[in-house]
Amino acid sequence: MLRYVVRRLVLLVPILIGLSILVFVFVRSLPGGPAIALLGERATQESVEAIERELGLDKPVHEQYLAYAGNLLSGDLGASIQTRRPVVDELKDRFPATIELGFAAMLFAILAGVPLGYVAAKRYQGFLDQSSLVLSLIGISFPIFFLALILKYVFAVKLGWLPSIGRLDVTRTLEHPTGFYTLDALIAGDFPAFMDAVRHLVLPAIALGTIPLAIVARITRAATLDVLSEDYVRTARAKGLAPSVVDRRHVMRNALLPVVTIVGLQTGLLLTGAILTERVFAWPGLGTMIINAISFRDYAVLQGGLVFFALIIVLVNLLVDVSYAFLNPRIRYR
Amino acid sequence: MSVAEAEAKTRAVEGQAGLWSDAFDRLKRNPGAVAGSIVVVLFVIVAVFAPLVAPYDPNEQVGSLAANPEGPSGEHWFGLDEQGRDFFSRVVYGSRLSLLTGVVSVAIGLLFGVALGALAGYLGGWVDTVIMRFMDIMLSIPGLLLAIAIVTATGRGLLPIMLAIGIINVPVFARLLRGSILAQREADYVLAARSLGATGPRLLGVHILPNAIAPVNVQATLAMGTAIIEVAALSFLGLGPADPGFPEWGKMVADNSNRLTVSTHLIFFPGFAIVLSVLGINLIGDGLREAIDPKLRA
Repeated sequence: MLRYVVRRLVLLVPILIGLSILVFVFVRSLPGGPAIALLGERATQESVEAIERELGLDKPVHEQYLAYAGNLLSGDLGASIQTRRPVVDELKDRFPATIELGFAAMLFAILAGVPLGYVAAKRYQGFLDQSSLVLSLIGISFPIFFLALILKYVFAVKLGWLPSIGRLDVTRTLEHPTGFYTLDALIAGDFPAFMDAVRHLVLPAIALGTIPLAIVARITRAATLDVLSEDYVRTARAKGLAPSVVDRRHVMRNALLPVVTIVGLQTGLLLTGAILTERVFAWPGLGTMIINAISFRDYAVLQGGLVFFALIIVLVNLLVDVSYAFLNPRIRYR
Repeated sequence: MSVAEAEAKTRAVEGQAGLWSDAFDRLKRNPGAVAGSIVVVLFVIVAVFAPLVAPYDPNEQVGSLAANPEGPSGEHWFGLDEQGRDFFSRVVYGSRLSLLTGVVSVAIGLLFGVALGALAGYLGGWVDTVIMRFMDIMLSIPGLLLAIAIVTATGRGLLPIMLAIGIINVPVFARLLRGSILAQREADYVLAARSLGATGPRLLGVHILPNAIAPVNVQATLAMGTAIIEVAALSFLGLGPADPGFPEWGKMVADNSNRLTVSTHLIFFPGFAIVLSVLGINLIGDGLREAIDPKLRA
């Protein structure tokens, strides 16, 4: 087991190096440049060159990369060209907002998806099963931003039940020690603020969580069906265990294995989905940051954001693989 | 004698049924796949005959300019947009773009994905390692993010978008085909072909690929649906085709998203056009998956 984990960690190194090069090259190949973005189209040649010298953009590309990689290792991602703030600080500000949204979305997907898939499998080919299949297919056919707009229209605009933008009511003041507003409110012991933060989370979380919900439900259903036809389930029934005990101890426990993997693999989907969701609900997260960075050619922020996104996904995938190897010994010996 | 019986008889006479004709038979009996096919065929007809279906030119001003354009009516089924253009005609023309980008981007992804996957799976060794590690890196970057990066780097336009969506599909196809080839490589029939003297390209092209390609076909169908959504998403983020008059569904939704409270029709019609076309494609893909592998009922 330890050997497997070590091997996976070693494999991480080339992936990370490749990733940083890829991102670096991409960002350099953007048309226009930060100097133009900063100074406008009619900037003089001299002022452009001055800015480029200041930002180190006049050096050869490989030197720029080495300097960048060196800084990266020491945790220095450079400074935003727009705000002059360190990128790390920008990430620190934005990260909790996106993670809080992602967690809420995943929570919604799991809490609704697992029971749905499980019940569908137990009623295989029944009405509930068929309709859950149709619903999940419709779910994955919806563009996130369109679903977000519909939810906003129905529940915020028409019914007025929930707020339509932001993370907290603008009139409310709250200390932000963690950046996770729900957590911050609890720390402050401010229950109305907590409810306010939750109310702001509901619509974006549902919009972002619907596709994962459909996928989780389908995987749970398929896994449960597989397990239900296993010999050990028949044996458990044959030896007279109560159906509820068989379901709990033998069926559910084994059926949830692939669900763990799928939940992990949804991270990438959640993060990109967050870009779209954040835009509809004016959610001040990483997605909004990246879109802004693109339009301002803010290399450092864009680079930092992309590497950070990819890093989260690589790490989560690693975590999933390791936990899976832990749960299923056959994997380790491949 | 029913049609099915007649077909069964013809087939009995012909002596054999291939994987695909078998799969097609099962597909015809799957109500979801049939419904999906009808939807997709309708969209294709609308796209091909757009000038005949649309009552107006999509860029022609037929009504008055208005901040709150009029909604659906007998004359303008989907209402007008803020520039007084017939919105039904714009949605109709939008189908052209969505279907085109869907097909072309998946074709690009297939071209490179199948080539790389086949090389990796068939040659093995360091070629396999290099290709697959690179694919892993690409897979670790979420598709839409990669597409955003590519489109910002190459500039907005129809081709960069299709290229971007195509590229993000490459590792998916490559991985799938490689796995499938690995499973086939050691099969008895391959051994038989090899012992009869088949080598290299022939072994791969004539024997292994036709048997290994099935899962890739299913994925390609589903990828077409995803591609339509991703193109719309890029448009929504302001990275769509540069021409402002271009009727693209995602762009229509994006351009009108600030009119959510006053002119919902400008968001709902193109939005549901996306949902309906993608749903149709997904229904076919799902049916195809079941048809090729009846064991899979997921």
